[in-house]
Amino acid sequence: MARKWSRYPKKAFYAFVGPWVIGFVLLTALPMVFGLLVSLTNFDGSSPRFKWVGLDNYVELFSDGEAWMALLRTLLFTAIVVPLTIGGSLGLAMIINRRLRALGLWRTLFFLPSVVPVVAMAIMWKLVFNRDSGILNAILGVVGIQPIAWLLDPTAFYALVILMLWGLGAGMIIMLAALQGVPAELEEAATIDGAGRWSVFRHVTVPMISPILFFQVITGVIAALQVFIQPLLLTSSAGISKVSGVPDSNNLYMVQVYKEFFLSNRFGYGSAMLWVFFLIILGLTLLFLRSSQSWVYYEVDTEAEKEGATR
Amino acid sequence: MTTTERETPAGLAPEAKHIRKAEKVRKDKRPPAILYILILLLSVFFIGPFLWLILAALKTPAEWASFPIQVLPDKAQWNNFVEAVTQMDFVAYTANSLFLATTYSVLITISSATVGFGFARLRAPGKKALFLVLLSTMMIPQILTLLPTYVLFSQIGLVNTYWPWILWGLAASPYMVFLFRQFFSSLPRELEDAAIMDGAGWLRIFVQIFLPLSRPVLITSFLLSFTWTWGDYIGPALLLDTDHTTLAVAITAWYQDPNGNTIPTVQAAAAVLYILPVLSIFFFAQRYFIRSTVSSGVKG
Repeated sequence: MARKWSRYPKKAFYAFVGPWVIGFVLLTALPMVFGLLVSLTNFDGSSPRFKWVGLDNYVELFSDGEAWMALLRTLLFTAIVVPLTIGGSLGLAMIINRRLRALGLWRTLFFLPSVVPVVAMAIMWKLVFNRDSGILNAILGVVGIQPIAWLLDPTAFYALVILMLWGLGAGMIIMLAALQGVPAELEEAATIDGAGRWSVFRHVTVPMISPILFFQVITGVIAALQVFIQPLLLTSSAGISKVSGVPDSNNLYMVQVYKEFFLSNRFGYGSAMLWVFFLIILGLTLLFLRSSQSWVYYEVDTEAEKEGATR
Repeated sequence: MTTTERETPAGLAPEAKHIRKAEKVRKDKRPPAILYILILLLSVFFIGPFLWLILAALKTPAEWASFPIQVLPDKAQWNNFVEAVTQMDFVAYTANSLFLATTYSVLITISSATVGFGFARLRAPGKKALFLVLLSTMMIPQILTLLPTYVLFSQIGLVNTYWPWILWGLAASPYMVFLFRQFFSSLPRELEDAAIMDGAGWLRIFVQIFLPLSRPVLITSFLLSFTWTWGDYIGPALLLDTDHTTLAVAITAWYQDPNGNTIPTVQAAAAVLYILPVLSIFFFAQRYFIRSTVSSGVKG
């Protein structure tokens, strides 16, 4: 019996986990290494006569003004969207956490947009943002604001931000769960000690939910950095075939990569851009993980629980 | 309440239980009226685009383009929906979408349950490291691997076939694996002990004992991957030609007048038809979506 316990599960573990390991090697690791190799060539996607160019693509990227602009724009976009999304979803969660009438209805309404497919989302918002026939300009017109060409430079950037905020319901649900995990006694105790509402929020609620806030920041930053299908679908007239129609203010880094791949057929150069981006994302993630020690508060028994769960 | 208790096993989403419990014991004051005004404004923001889409789908092109805007159509143009279905081979694209989404979701659910079981109930050297790799792949942006994958697949002739989705499906998704692992970890050890005494193998234990217990997670996994694949744009746009492509791609590219401009009213009607399955799944199975959202975001 004892022999069975020690030997049998080992093989079984590898057998059960095998599909994912093989999949990871073939469908994640291999494409990435392949991309790295391609980035060292001038491959154009079809012609078999491509050659090794070493680090030329990377050197060129360093002095590529358009790519730098796209990168800065993407960082700005991320710096705007992530705080707004996290603040917004926390705010919504705090509203939903009250004893409201028809609570379930509001929760559903706010959450609903986050399940809408991106294509439908883009079609919808194009109709809303339309300069002459869109409802947004009509509403703004009531208060005397002149029609805005939302989907052109420079306002397309804000249109994109609004589109992103529309889907923050998923974050709201996560924040709600986090808020409700905060022991009510803690908040009460602070109130009894004379802390005001803001003070309770700042010194009790936020530290208690900081692990989830932290997780949301990391995943939010990673997601915002790679946004590109939204600007493509929102501001080009016929899907991704007209990448070039995207206004400059929506030319995020991944859009630029996409252009290099499919407008200029520069697969090698595009792959180099991808790898540089991967390293930037990796670096940012590690930076956040480092910094987390100073502001993320973990309960001691959560650690114990984790140990138990991993067995 | 009792059914929920039964169908919400402890480890899957203790948070969901929190929500229920907290709803009962919360004792703050009734919120002020101004909060309801804020909520109404927010609702307009979140629901407005849906209504505007539906209204556009019921207008004539002239009504849509009229300036100043005409909010309601004089007469609902149901014909837009007929146009949406007949101007292109809507049925064929729907069939493609359905086939792709179903195949992928079935495969990913089975493979992820298998891998999740391995991580939750079995032990071997290297398990911790492998799990760490699994978690970090959730952090790799999908698009970073998709473009090289596209180049690779076009080199080995898998473009314009559904093979990529079958391969991705067989390989399990880190996200779903995590969901299954959380659930399987929460079940008591005694479950397999007796079966092991009887000499049952792990495959049998998995299939006959653990799988039947994981029905709610199986449903969650299937529904989530179905809606993801149904909604995915970039995958089919890159890997499939006009015959094989899905509804998601087709509705962006068709519905043009002779000048090559998109007809917004017909496209709006098509978009309504396209999101209908997703929305109905969501309304019928809301708790699965909410539960998986919660357990994916609170892993800290």
